[in-house]
Amino acid sequence: MPDLTLYNYDLDESCYKARLLLSFLGLDCKIVAVDVFPGREQTTPPFLALNPLGRLPILTDGDFVLTGTEAILAHLARAHDPSERWLPMEGEAFARVMSWLTFSARDLDVTITARQRSLFGPPGDETSLVAASRRLLRIMDEHLLARGYTGEEWFAAPHPTIADIALFPAFALSRDVGIDHDEYPALRRWSRRFRGLSGFRVMPGIPEYF
Amino acid sequence: MDMQGHWYPVSLAHSVEPGSAAGVRLDGRELVVWRDGEGGAHVWEDRCPHRGMRLSLGFVREGRLGCLYHGWEFGADGQCSHIPAHPDSQVPKAIRTRPYPKEVRFGMIWTALSAEPPPPLPEDAAEITPVASLYLDCAAAAALSALRASRLPPFRAGDHDAGTVFETVAPTLFRLSAGSESILVGLQAVAAERTALHIVIEGPGVVYAGQGQSHFLRWAQELRHRIETPSLNSANRPGEAP
Repeated sequence: MPDLTLYNYDLDESCYKARLLLSFLGLDCKIVAVDVFPGREQTTPPFLALNPLGRLPILTDGDFVLTGTEAILAHLARAHDPSERWLPMEGEAFARVMSWLTFSARDLDVTITARQRSLFGPPGDETSLVAASRRLLRIMDEHLLARGYTGEEWFAAPHPTIADIALFPAFALSRDVGIDHDEYPALRRWSRRFRGLSGFRVMPGIPEYF
Repeated sequence: MDMQGHWYPVSLAHSVEPGSAAGVRLDGRELVVWRDGEGGAHVWEDRCPHRGMRLSLGFVREGRLGCLYHGWEFGADGQCSHIPAHPDSQVPKAIRTRPYPKEVRFGMIWTALSAEPPPPLPEDAAEITPVASLYLDCAAAAALSALRASRLPPFRAGDHDAGTVFETVAPTLFRLSAGSESILVGLQAVAAERTALHIVIEGPGVVYAGQGQSHFLRWAQELRHRIETPSLNSANRPGEAP
């Protein structure tokens, strides 16, 4: 069995993405709870030694230390999913996964910031963050809508991939920043399918029922 | 727009799957649209009579809509039939949701804010292929005038010179046709400055599924871009060269 450790905070949606893939793959993994709020433990020397950026999640696989949510998803899929379904290697599906991972890392960051402000931050004006989040969700919704025209139900391949995992929390948690699911019908249907996957688990803020 | 006495579309029919629920807004009011296991559509006020939780966050189980908060379950008639904290009690008849009129037609789910159903919608004989629901930051009247001004590019070759004909099918349903092709657009007044357009093709999936749907989605996105970009609101119309 692989010797995996995830440095984790339950309320962090990036850590949730790693937990989801570990669960979908049925991998045993040691979970180390990090006191992010209010302790900011991830910015103390023992954690900075693992990730100088002071962020979670951090994964260790044997002696190998890996940071960055998308890199962790890609590594887990490449190293521990012999079926190659979660990270398909053939041409277009692979490229589409990369494209949505980039979208997740670069663009969806705004949804994480909006949510952190609304949950933990001082009261302030989140209007522009919420407007940007709506725009991103609309891009995701219309991508799935158009894929649905040819019977495709997932973001990058004929089956779920790490792209779907990387995108799921931004939609599932959007109500935390006051964005209802009313206006994203394709994401609603995708979210139901995602929740029905074997090994799916919730995080705080995502209800068990649907 | 007078909201009473008209049917309004609140969703494309295929957007709410059997056994699921979705929240929608009409004239600022929160409604839940849900389908039971057999696919029957229901439109209620989006409030659990117990603690006011939105029922659209809940779950459909054995033909009943359950509230996420305490699991109270309501049957298709709106009557509460099960309270998990009191599994053996007879639920009083007074505990019920508020149902609204509902209809499934033209590939859309319709409701009305009046207690009694408005006059019936026209029959939908033709086959329908769904395209998209567009959500717009403008009043219903502004969305309608942009729709009136738009030009519909036909999907199939041979219809390229056809002009666009705009037609009112019902107070909240409009047809745009170009040559032998047509789409239907249902108008949902979400709130004072929020409007949804529900768009379907009048034609069978064997012709329009895939590329035909993408074609009319691009038309719809262009219409939305025009509405969202005030500087474009000059004489140019969607489909015409700037």
